Amino acid sequence: MAKPKKKVTSRERSEFRWGWAFIIPTMLGLIILNIIPIFQTIYKSFFKTGDFGRGNIFVGLENYQTMFADSQVWQALINTIKYAIVEVPFSIAISLVLAVLLNRKMKGRSVYRTIFFLPMVAAPAAVAMVWRWLFNADFGLINHVFGVHVNWVSDPNIAIFSIAVIGIWSIIGYNMVLFLAGLQEVPGDYYEAADIDGASGVRQFFSITLPLISPTIFFVLVTRVIGALQVFDLIFMVMDKSNPALIKTQSLVYLFYEYSFRQKNQGYGSAIVVLLLVVIMIVTVFQMIGQKKWVYYN
Amino acid sequence: MKLKRVAALAMAGTMVFSLSACGGGSGDGGGSGSGGGSGSGGDLSVMIWDTYQEAGLKEILADFTEETGIGAEIQVVPWNEYWTLLEAGAQGGDMPDVFWMHSNESERYMSNDMLLDLTDKIAESDLIDVSKYPEDIKNLYTYEDKMYAVPKDVDTIALWYNKTMFDEAGIPYPDETWTWDKLVEVAKQLTKPDGSQYGFAMRNDTNQEGYYNIVYDMGGQIISDDKTTSGYDDPNTIKAMQVVEQLIKDGSMPSIETMSENGPDVLLKSGKTAMSFHGSWMISSFKEEDYIKENCDCAVMPMDAESGRRVSIYNGLGWAAAANGDNTENAWKLIEYLGSEEAQVKQAELGVTMSAWDGTSETWVNCAPEFNLQAYLDMRDDMVIRPYSRNTVTWENRASELLKEAWAGNMTMEDTCKQIAEEMNATLAEEQ
Repeated sequence: MAKPKKKVTSRERSEFRWGWAFIIPTMLGLIILNIIPIFQTIYKSFFKTGDFGRGNIFVGLENYQTMFADSQVWQALINTIKYAIVEVPFSIAISLVLAVLLNRKMKGRSVYRTIFFLPMVAAPAAVAMVWRWLFNADFGLINHVFGVHVNWVSDPNIAIFSIAVIGIWSIIGYNMVLFLAGLQEVPGDYYEAADIDGASGVRQFFSITLPLISPTIFFVLVTRVIGALQVFDLIFMVMDKSNPALIKTQSLVYLFYEYSFRQKNQGYGSAIVVLLLVVIMIVTVFQMIGQKKWVYYN
Repeated sequence: MKLKRVAALAMAGTMVFSLSACGGGSGDGGGSGSGGGSGSGGDLSVMIWDTYQEAGLKEILADFTEETGIGAEIQVVPWNEYWTLLEAGAQGGDMPDVFWMHSNESERYMSNDMLLDLTDKIAESDLIDVSKYPEDIKNLYTYEDKMYAVPKDVDTIALWYNKTMFDEAGIPYPDETWTWDKLVEVAKQLTKPDGSQYGFAMRNDTNQEGYYNIVYDMGGQIISDDKTTSGYDDPNTIKAMQVVEQLIKDGSMPSIETMSENGPDVLLKSGKTAMSFHGSWMISSFKEEDYIKENCDCAVMPMDAESGRRVSIYNGLGWAAAANGDNTENAWKLIEYLGSEEAQVKQAELGVTMSAWDGTSETWVNCAPEFNLQAYLDMRDDMVIRPYSRNTVTWENRASELLKEAWAGNMTMEDTCKQIAEEMNATLAEEQ
């Protein structure tokens, strides 16, 4: 018994066509710039690459064996995770508080919003250069103002946290804008009702604001964790190659850059970045599972 | 209402912009960007890495355009990104028309036919006389008897010192009688216990401008002549590196932390250190610094008391062209012009750098009369080419990394050198 075929109206066909027309540019971009390179990278990680991409020799899992025995890679993984653990919670907490404060009716609101968003507009390289100077142990402003002598970016114990401070500073504005958008969605009636019931501002924040913008928080959390695990430019710009703290700060992407582009060992570089890909996927899967416990979609 | 929409649009615009700026870090880590772009519409694209040479070279290129009617445009890309960009261009078949080549990378490019073969063109040229260029520099850019670049310049190393600090301590300025022991001794005397002033500065990665010179003075070597074994475990090399160890132990140098944040040149121009070594390519930057002009000068490097040798490690860049460029004919004309005696003389005169062509550099000393630049010319009497092999960067970076431990005092210099030799030998074995 064949099912009667549903007739496709011309309107549906037209919608279908337009729908595809609208997403095809994005899809093409994603496929050409992201998806294909991902598979090429995985493919390359099984090769000992020759000069200028020629004469690649298949070596099977050799790059991975070297990698698992390479203490530098594990150190880099630890550094990357340390960075993410500091950057993500602080940047989210601070920007959430700022967003709530700046969501009220107040004088100069847009001026403040602009100021907090500015670091996002500045080129990351320029940001890193300015911070490098601020952190400079001998001539930097921070040590000068506080009259101390701390090697902010060359002491192996604290350098990664100094870098995280720059990361937090640069990302706050962006997170804040996302949270502001989330806050616009929260209906004012809830707060009015809470006021009548006599709930304090802090109580309102935790009982109304937080649950209602949890989808936004979740989105920011997922994207920021991925972004933090991919940290590269700050470390690249701030840490000089001769820096004794480099080994304790270099991230996986930094190591990937070092091997792929400086030492021209693209096969090994690819293996490192595949490791990062796996780490990011695992973390993201756990976040997706975890969201059921605390994210409310109404 | 309208204002709001404009504001929203601007905001969206900046966000897209900054997002794409961040994207560079994740994908291919700075490998993006234009590949230099071979000339559209006839203008030659020229890529260099030294901002300080840009102005002088522009003048020379203008002369070239006037003479031949061929336009040329210079693009400066900092050293760190230069090689990434050139590699990406080479891989994607889109290199600049004319660019600088360096001994660290030349063999890889030559052996893969990335560079335009200039052998016949040089032989036929009236403007270029190969016998006028230093043999070592020609060798850098010759592979299997074919020449792929025309030598551009030579550079040597000299000792810079802070006259004011020497005067204050009542110590005579460095001169040609100085030995390495003397340097160690004076560096100690010029170090103040409160950390406000150090006698000397040399970093773990200051090789060409630093310890390589001592190594060759003392009869050691960094790499064997046939490029198959490391020289780091040579007793003479270790002896030379122990001179550096002495400087570290005496506390005559700032900590490696300090030097990694502020290189020896920065420390010299901010009055933190009394002495450091600098290559002749630094002159164009030093002559812009008031503090250095007022307080500092240069002299020849110290020599080894035993051998009496006073070596300067030297190197020279080459002008190369892309093998698959659109207008290789014009690119060759430009290279031929840049390598000619006329342009080489002008390069020295303008103070861009010392030139490769024999006897054209004497005018270079006049580009900064406040310094004793004759020292750099004198250092040409005993020159050793900067040690290199096919994958120079790999073992050189690893050596710097291991030397950090010696600088920090975690390992003795002898053990460090032996470990470098071991790892370097493994890298070199892979090259064969």
